[in-house]
Amino acid sequence: MNKYTVINPHEPFRVLNTHVHNIDGIAKVTGRATYTFDVKLPGMLYGKILRSPYPHAKIIKIDASKALALPGVLAVVNGKDDTLGIKQGIWRRYNDLCDEQVLPVDKVRYIGEPVAAVAAVTEEIAEKALDLIDVEYEELPATFEPLDAIKKDAPEIHEGFERNINVTRHIEWGEVEEAFEEAEYIREDWFKCGGQAHMCMETRAAVASYTPDGKMTVWTSTQSAYYHQALLAGVLGLREGNVRVLAPYVGGGFGGKFELDGAQFCACILSMKVRKPVKIIFTREEDFIASKRRTPMFYYTRTGVKKDGTFCAREAKVFTNGGAYTGMGATALYLTGFFHSFPYRWKGYRYDGYRVYTNTLPSTSMRGFGAPQAMWCSEQQIEWIAADLGLDPIEMRRKNSHHEGYVVPGQATIASCGIDQCYDEIKTWIKSKGKLPKNRSIGLSACGFMSGGIFNWFDTPYSFSSAVVTVNNDGTVELHVGAQDIGQGSNTTMAIICAEALGVKIEDVKVHSGDTDHCPADLGAWGSRQTLMTGNAVKMASEDAKKQLLEFAYAQSGLNIVYDLDIKEGWVHAIARPERGETFEALVKRATRGKDGQRIVGRGYYTPHRKGMISPAYSYMLQGVEVEIDDETGKIKLIDSMTAHDCGQPINHLGLIGQLEGAFSMAAGYGYLEYMPFEDGKMMNPNLVDYKMVRSTDMPPANIAEIDTYEPEGPYGAKEAGEGLTNPTAAAIGNAIYHRFGIQMKECPVRPEMIVNALKEKAAAEKEGKKK
Amino acid sequence: MEKKLITLTVNDIEYELYINPKTLLVEAIRDHIGLTGTKRGCETVSCGACTVMIDDMAIKSCSVLAVQAEGRRIITAEGLEKNGVLAPIQKAFLDEGSYQCGFCTSGMLMSSEAFLKETKNPTEEQMKEAIEGNICRCTGYNSIVRAIAAVAKGKYAEVKS
Amino acid sequence: MIHDFTYLKPGSVKEALAMLADHADECKVICGGQSLLIVMRQGLVAVDYLIDLKGLNELSYIKYDDKEGLKLGATTTHRIIEKSNVVKKNYPVLTAMEEKLASIQVRNWGTIGGNLAHADAAGDPAPVLISLGAKVKLGSKKGDRVMSLEEFYTDLFETAMEHDEIVLEVQVPPAPPKTGSAYQKFNLIENDQGIVAVAATVTADKGGVCTDAKIVLGNAGVTPIRAKSAEKVLIGKKLTDKLFAEAGEAAAGDADPVSDIHSSADFRRHLIKVLTKRMVKKAWDQATKG
Repeated sequence: MNKYTVINPHEPFRVLNTHVHNIDGIAKVTGRATYTFDVKLPGMLYGKILRSPYPHAKIIKIDASKALALPGVLAVVNGKDDTLGIKQGIWRRYNDLCDEQVLPVDKVRYIGEPVAAVAAVTEEIAEKALDLIDVEYEELPATFEPLDAIKKDAPEIHEGFERNINVTRHIEWGEVEEAFEEAEYIREDWFKCGGQAHMCMETRAAVASYTPDGKMTVWTSTQSAYYHQALLAGVLGLREGNVRVLAPYVGGGFGGKFELDGAQFCACILSMKVRKPVKIIFTREEDFIASKRRTPMFYYTRTGVKKDGTFCAREAKVFTNGGAYTGMGATALYLTGFFHSFPYRWKGYRYDGYRVYTNTLPSTSMRGFGAPQAMWCSEQQIEWIAADLGLDPIEMRRKNSHHEGYVVPGQATIASCGIDQCYDEIKTWIKSKGKLPKNRSIGLSACGFMSGGIFNWFDTPYSFSSAVVTVNNDGTVELHVGAQDIGQGSNTTMAIICAEALGVKIEDVKVHSGDTDHCPADLGAWGSRQTLMTGNAVKMASEDAKKQLLEFAYAQSGLNIVYDLDIKEGWVHAIARPERGETFEALVKRATRGKDGQRIVGRGYYTPHRKGMISPAYSYMLQGVEVEIDDETGKIKLIDSMTAHDCGQPINHLGLIGQLEGAFSMAAGYGYLEYMPFEDGKMMNPNLVDYKMVRSTDMPPANIAEIDTYEPEGPYGAKEAGEGLTNPTAAAIGNAIYHRFGIQMKECPVRPEMIVNALKEKAAAEKEGKKK
Repeated sequence: MEKKLITLTVNDIEYELYINPKTLLVEAIRDHIGLTGTKRGCETVSCGACTVMIDDMAIKSCSVLAVQAEGRRIITAEGLEKNGVLAPIQKAFLDEGSYQCGFCTSGMLMSSEAFLKETKNPTEEQMKEAIEGNICRCTGYNSIVRAIAAVAKGKYAEVKS
Repeated sequence: MIHDFTYLKPGSVKEALAMLADHADECKVICGGQSLLIVMRQGLVAVDYLIDLKGLNELSYIKYDDKEGLKLGATTTHRIIEKSNVVKKNYPVLTAMEEKLASIQVRNWGTIGGNLAHADAAGDPAPVLISLGAKVKLGSKKGDRVMSLEEFYTDLFETAMEHDEIVLEVQVPPAPPKTGSAYQKFNLIENDQGIVAVAATVTADKGGVCTDAKIVLGNAGVTPIRAKSAEKVLIGKKLTDKLFAEAGEAAAGDADPVSDIHSSADFRRHLIKVLTKRMVKKAWDQATKG
């Protein structure tokens, strides 16, 4: 706790964890909320992107003369003639991982990669112009699967990356070989994890406006206005301060909207050429084929345990299909290896991850960040081990789980952990179900997740999160944060923390976010960082403002030094005599006069220091999913679910439930629906008819049992809730299938045909066995 | 191609438009009339973000030609409130937190409103089916169904004095 | 982008047919447009004239009598059919099919005539209607004609209609006594289009013998397929679980399914086997109860 904390353990929270409406509600339920999709500026042009039809090819020549001759076309740009050709990437600290030009100069590396862009008076003219751009390519041999791309004779996708190995990661602790020696039972399995599309309801979108004073303003659907400001400044050769990024309401992000994308880059380049605003909105098809996806992975994992179920050693080797560029894929590579150990204690653990370039859609972060893949493998294998040894799967998990105070050697200190209570809750839930109908089964999966990362591969000089609280004379509060609300409700969460910490009503707090000109830098909405990191900054800023205000109250109060003042719900009072006091507004007026007419301003910031290798705090959960499977057709139907969940102190009650239910639908989709096949680098189902997702009639109840813990690193003891919840469901579905049929599904998403085939194989094997 | 002069009645206001007949209703609403509450999220009539009410029926405005909607009563999300007073379904969405990023919300509201107008005492299954044509990537749908249920149960019925 | 067209709005069927005759293959007909607008946007259909039938209320009707059976006007929306008590009472399988067709929004504006004319292999109404022995009435300036719905489909997205014809009406004969009908599509998520589908209508006589069976496979070939070998397994026999399974095996052989990202051809055949078995049983149970 920082020095501004007012300790008041008997006073319940007034705003925290109450049924507060999302503060953006009125705008969103009345059709007033405008998104980048809706932005319309005077003189605005429409941009369209010409995309590579080849997975790997040299760009020989681009002839845009016919397109430029089409009436209504104002500009056609390409990488070679119109950009600085700067290779960028979000891992700015590591030059060799900055490998993407967005509009490439020399060659294309995936089907759908931008090659040229057009700005025209109408969208229709821009689209017609695309057909009139002649591009001469020299096709190159291409490679699509990581296990092919690492072969000696595979085509080289990026110069200097031998065997197309883009990034490697190694995590290790303990004496791994010794730990395996101690094991009495060892199991090894190979798994294949699919990709997944973010499928934000608002596709990638940007409106860029470059003006003759050398300033670039960009409206874009982003998870981090600051990231895009910095990235765009870098590739456009502009000063960061001359780039303003605005995020109107954002229609979803899920990990796909904080890297520089084609909409942003091409709109900027076009606007710089014509000095007019240019709007680019991806069609749904473009969004599927040209916005990066969840990382497909090949997982090998070998686990050694004692016969009584004590975990000894694990060794995992993972090859990820990185696609054509690095992006955030490097982080997913690291996190998958780390969370593959969660939530268990291992005497010896070793992970080797290889991210491999291929000529396919680049892979990046997506909600869960490598952990859904990690759990698909780990939690199923653990279930099979329990079955192999005849042990109770919950108790086997429990005895090996993390606990408060545990140190993951060299990696992390677990300061709060409610996993043990999670096991109890799920046991109760299972018991309450009694005997299930014969075509149903329950599958479980445990997991843990981070509350923001400690890494600064972006190489920012700024605090990871900052906040400014300004108190107006009428008692209303302006809260400026760089945290980005992408639907998860961070505006509301920050308003809640501010209102709680400052002592005002939430209606009196106005949140300002999504504008780099007015809001402090913040790394943005990814890795589940904002509640903990921006939340801490907001708490600090609010308590700073409160302290300044209370100075004026103390001065007037004449209170004995041992008595404290506090502010709750706009009432300034002595804690011992709460009925005596004054209104917040009255105090503010005095304080403002006392400060020579200056508004009280509180500042706060947070950057994790010395918090291990991954995160300052970890959430934990155990999820049970009840599944009905048709044994003749393999059709899967989700019936019920319960998630026992430890996110420390919940802040935004409605937000938390929404996060759980939403994460479940996305995570379930990863487990059994969102098949995303590629053939020779081409995505086969880039539309919502053929890409299947959970709809209302497929969604089961998503019950939640909140486990009470207190995380010292988090504001009011809070940790993340929302991304971690995407991690367990695929594995839980896999385990439900296992418990029903005894078949082990190694590949996700699981489809009915796979189940039917596995059942056939099992029946055939049993027949063979009987014959013998 | 001949442009057509048509009158569209949207939220009980008549708008005169002079448009290419291939203009979709969603384009007429968003680009010609300027009401951007109705969104678009796909090209295959799959996502439902463009759902409006035409003569009290929930319909995807991306697959209706604007010229076909002449003479009909079109309601969009902006038309749900009356004199600044939110409709019951809007209040229910606020109470249940039935939206996150909000991009699907206008469509969800219209599907819900149309359903509530035509179905009394709905079952849980019927309420889920009411929004089956609308995709939401954020909420997992259950909070939207809870909002519909609350309205159906009469939680927001006007108290007559 | 949609190709520019001249928009024509006939006030009557007669006017519509005259326009069609005038513009022949330069035009296309639109009604609900729930399928057509997608392919127009994709540029797969590009015409100079679009004739809008949506306003033709004279073709929006549901008529039933015990002698003639059911008549559905071509511009009747799916939703009207879904909500019709007359349809539910006499052909509950049609109601059940409509309830699972696409989404409420699509059903509110899309029409039965438009659906059948589009000839999507994955369409729900066609297999069900064919199994009920339905016919279509087609109209042109030259006159009307009636043909069986089974013969109406010639190839993927292609029908036997001439350029100047439209669908006017769907005619479903009255169901003989002791007839049951069932339909199921296989999909991963509810209401989604079927990976395959099976419609089965069976009739029993007083002795409990199957006198007629029409089994129609959806999305198992370029057009709906009558699984005639499956029907042969059943007709003339007292049906048992063993025969249901046999019919399933036979239907799988009648199918001509494709392999695509949703399913291999083999799995489609397997699903047809299972669904046929189930739907024939379901129809038979209906036919022989009470």
